[in-house]
Amino acid sequence: MSSSHEAAPSKAFLAEEVRRYHHFIVLALWLAVVTGAEIVLIYLPLPTAVIFTVLTLMSAGKFFAVILWFMHLIYDKRLLFWCFLAGLVLAFATYAALLCLFSADRIDTRWFA
Amino acid sequence: MSDHAAAHEAPTSTGIDHKKLIMWLFLASDCMFFGTLISTHLLYRKLFPAGFTDAEGHQRFIQDLFSIELTSFSTFILLMSSFLMALAVSAMHKGQLKSFRRNVLGVIIFGLIFLGCQVFEFTHFYHKGLTIQNSVLGSTFYVLTGTHGTHVAIGVLWLILLYFYSFTGKLGGHMGALDVEVAGLYWHFVDIVWIIIFTAVYLVEYLGPYGIWGSGLPAVVK
Amino acid sequence: MSHDSHHAPVACKTELAPERSDLGLYRPDRATGLIDWLTTVDHKKIGIMYGAFAMLYFLIGGVEALAIRTQLARPDNDFVTARMYNQLFTMHGTTMIFLGVMPLSAAFFNFLVPLQVGARDVAFPRLNAFSLWTFVFGAFVLNASWLFEFGHLAGWFDSFAWHKALVYTDFAPANGWFSYAPLSGTFGANGQALRFTGVGTDFWIIGIQVLGIASLAASFNFICTIINMRAKGMTMMRLPVFTWMTLVTSVLIILAFPAITVALIELMFDRAFGANFFNPSAGGQPVLWQHLFWIFGHPEVYILVLPAMGIVSEVLPTFSGKSLFGYPIIVFSGAVIGFLGFAVWSHHMFTTGLGPVPTAAFSLLTMAIAVPTGVKIFNWLGTIWGGRIRFTPPMVLALGFIWMFMCGGFSGVMHSSAPADSQQQDSYFVIAHFHYVLLGGVLLGLMAGLYFWFPKIFGRMPNAPVAYLGSALVILGFNLAFGPMHYLGLAGQPRRTHTYHAGNGWETWNYVATIGAYILGIGVVIVFGNLVWTAFRGKKCGNDPWDGRTLEWSLPSPVPEYNFAQAPVVATRDAFFEHKHGAKKIGLENDGGEAGVHMPSQSWMPMLASAGFLFIGFGMPMMAMGIPHAGWLVISGLGVLFLGIWLWALEGPGGYMLKTPAPSGAPAPAETVAH
Repeated sequence: MSSSHEAAPSKAFLAEEVRRYHHFIVLALWLAVVTGAEIVLIYLPLPTAVIFTVLTLMSAGKFFAVILWFMHLIYDKRLLFWCFLAGLVLAFATYAALLCLFSADRIDTRWFA
Repeated sequence: MSDHAAAHEAPTSTGIDHKKLIMWLFLASDCMFFGTLISTHLLYRKLFPAGFTDAEGHQRFIQDLFSIELTSFSTFILLMSSFLMALAVSAMHKGQLKSFRRNVLGVIIFGLIFLGCQVFEFTHFYHKGLTIQNSVLGSTFYVLTGTHGTHVAIGVLWLILLYFYSFTGKLGGHMGALDVEVAGLYWHFVDIVWIIIFTAVYLVEYLGPYGIWGSGLPAVVK
Repeated sequence: MSHDSHHAPVACKTELAPERSDLGLYRPDRATGLIDWLTTVDHKKIGIMYGAFAMLYFLIGGVEALAIRTQLARPDNDFVTARMYNQLFTMHGTTMIFLGVMPLSAAFFNFLVPLQVGARDVAFPRLNAFSLWTFVFGAFVLNASWLFEFGHLAGWFDSFAWHKALVYTDFAPANGWFSYAPLSGTFGANGQALRFTGVGTDFWIIGIQVLGIASLAASFNFICTIINMRAKGMTMMRLPVFTWMTLVTSVLIILAFPAITVALIELMFDRAFGANFFNPSAGGQPVLWQHLFWIFGHPEVYILVLPAMGIVSEVLPTFSGKSLFGYPIIVFSGAVIGFLGFAVWSHHMFTTGLGPVPTAAFSLLTMAIAVPTGVKIFNWLGTIWGGRIRFTPPMVLALGFIWMFMCGGFSGVMHSSAPADSQQQDSYFVIAHFHYVLLGGVLLGLMAGLYFWFPKIFGRMPNAPVAYLGSALVILGFNLAFGPMHYLGLAGQPRRTHTYHAGNGWETWNYVATIGAYILGIGVVIVFGNLVWTAFRGKKCGNDPWDGRTLEWSLPSPVPEYNFAQAPVVATRDAFFEHKHGAKKIGLENDGGEAGVHMPSQSWMPMLASAGFLFIGFGMPMMAMGIPHAGWLVISGLGVLFLGIWLWALEGPGGYMLKTPAPSGAPAPAETVAH
């Protein structure tokens, strides 16, 4: 965000905001379409692995689309992107490892039928 | 340097406003927070793929429990609220206070609708036999989605306060746009967490009788 | 501009005209005395308060330790009951880590970071005050459990119905500082939430939760300050190493604490609302608690040690007269330690049956993390090699750090071998290891920092002979106390047991360890007493008694409220040392002087918001006690928290302009840079 004085926003700034406004509308439509596609997808008679992969890609696509455009990261300084990515990657890696450490055939089922 | 320049107008080393930087740091931290909750839920789904046993001792499919129509509706609502939030921020940057107020009011209303759907879903599941106490699934599901709902509620409260503050005439200029943008970042984050929850907690439960977790299990309920 | 200050610059804040905030309430900017300290947003005063509370809690934790050692001095002793013993080691660990070391590190972060980066305060001064008061109230809640325990032991609660209904009557937590499930959790089907412990666990849960919020708030603030408020010319690679370590530690905090926050929420839901996260009767996995706790807990130990390493990295170059050897490598190693710290958590769980592949993986990663630590040690040795060493108290302690921390590292890398660890786990060998790294490492490092920077904080020098005596007793005492524990652990003495029988060959060394503990205690009291005496009565000194290297030494001692009369412009690392002895001078920006600098306004609101945690902190355990209407206390606590934050947002940042001395008063600047 470039404006740091209290005068009315400059013409170039306003033009940029208007362009982004149109991007937001297009993005919102795509998000709705992709979400609808996800819901349809789970009922299709395809192999589970395929559906799961496509679902993951679609969700990741929505996730990054919101971050980059709605949350402005693509317009902002790179540092903010790396700050957020660090937390995201760490969370993903740590908890993927944690999930691998548990498996159904290693738990004690004596206390629970 | 003008002696009226307040500290938060002073140039920062990176050119990024303090409030924006600190909100992104908070969101990075919140990724770990929701990561823990989501992975607890997924972990227990992995360990007990069969679903849950209700109060009478009957084993139930999760697909019978979930209502994909309701959840899809609330997902759309939250996505659209995110869209309206982006418009509100954009309006604030352009200095259009009335447009900002309209859009923020839209976000608040959609947020409240989402919360209403969550409350309805919780009572619906409760009557179908899933409680926080009778199963691990109930514990993980209600605490995960309940924590997300609490985040949404805090966001709604924040936006309501911003909405009323905009009538005092003190919300404006660069700092006003920054305050709105920071609230917007929080709101969008709550939305993207829901994107993950919607897929990982709801949608994958439809890939097979026990969802994606029970691929080795026979499709028979005891 | 709506947040403008309307004051003309004043020479002293007491000259300000009373000003109302946007809420219509008077801002406490002109306050002096107690109200000044309670409403301050000045990072220096906040740092001093953190330090004072930390030293108090160090002493309390020390008393708990001496009680433990007294009980263990002889076999079959009955100095304390088994339950009291469990409460003692729980509170000793929790107090030392969360109320001793972390706040003392926070004291250094608060005081030094803005000075070292060349700023006038942190990025969010009121948030800084909020962190302090949240810590103070959280610490009080946690230790209030002792007050309840003593009240119970004295019989004050016997006539109350809720007390008679309690199944377990432990009010101070007795579940270990790590509070493993299922001991701390629940059992029984369908929400019965049958427990194994009393309210002590609930005090522990809410206490740690509140303390976590304090740490998180402070860390967000420091990361923002270090990244965003550096003086002109202060690039990241010109930062003092202490500031770098503060940055890494703060990043660790914001990424590790969420795991314990969630784990505590899950445990609280199990106990308070009958959830099943760790309830084996419903399929809950108690070992999940261990995982989540150590996903937090392992980065936590690096959170404890990295600040001390940062301090040592400042002290060694100063008293060797040489710059730090391999600055980029030391910074990089610190970052690598932080990053790898997230990958090794299950080395605390080698005996839980993870399976051969995970065990091997965590074992290898743990060995790997020894490498960057070793690199740092070699770089420190490279720093002192060939230097003209001055054996001042801080230097002696920093050298002690290198040696003692290395010993702790050796026993640590012995743990990294899973087969060896299967014997060492839960034995006194582990206690020896972590006390060597925490006492020999962290405590010596923090003490070095106290002796090093007290002259800057208070403008007075510590009494050197007493400092040497105290330090010698500390080092002697802790070696005597914890050295034998290596043997005791390998000879089979288990941890966390309130007594042992004669005939195992443990008697002699336990007795020796107790003597060592008392010597350590005397040493600590002498050191703290020396420091407190210094603050009030020490010999006055100038701004640079040690021939320091970093920016804080260029300022008067004690540091004036505005820190820098004119904002500095730096051209190199170790900018002040180069300014004094080299060619590159520190420039000055054209601010301050008669036009004044902007100071943030003081405020009651951060403390008001934190007070909400006091209500929540007592309300939740009271709910667990079964005291009627305790839930309302929690709800009103949330209300107070919300009210405080809301008023904080509405009052506006305010601010006033403070005049600073003209450039001739500052250490010889060579050039004035127009802003």
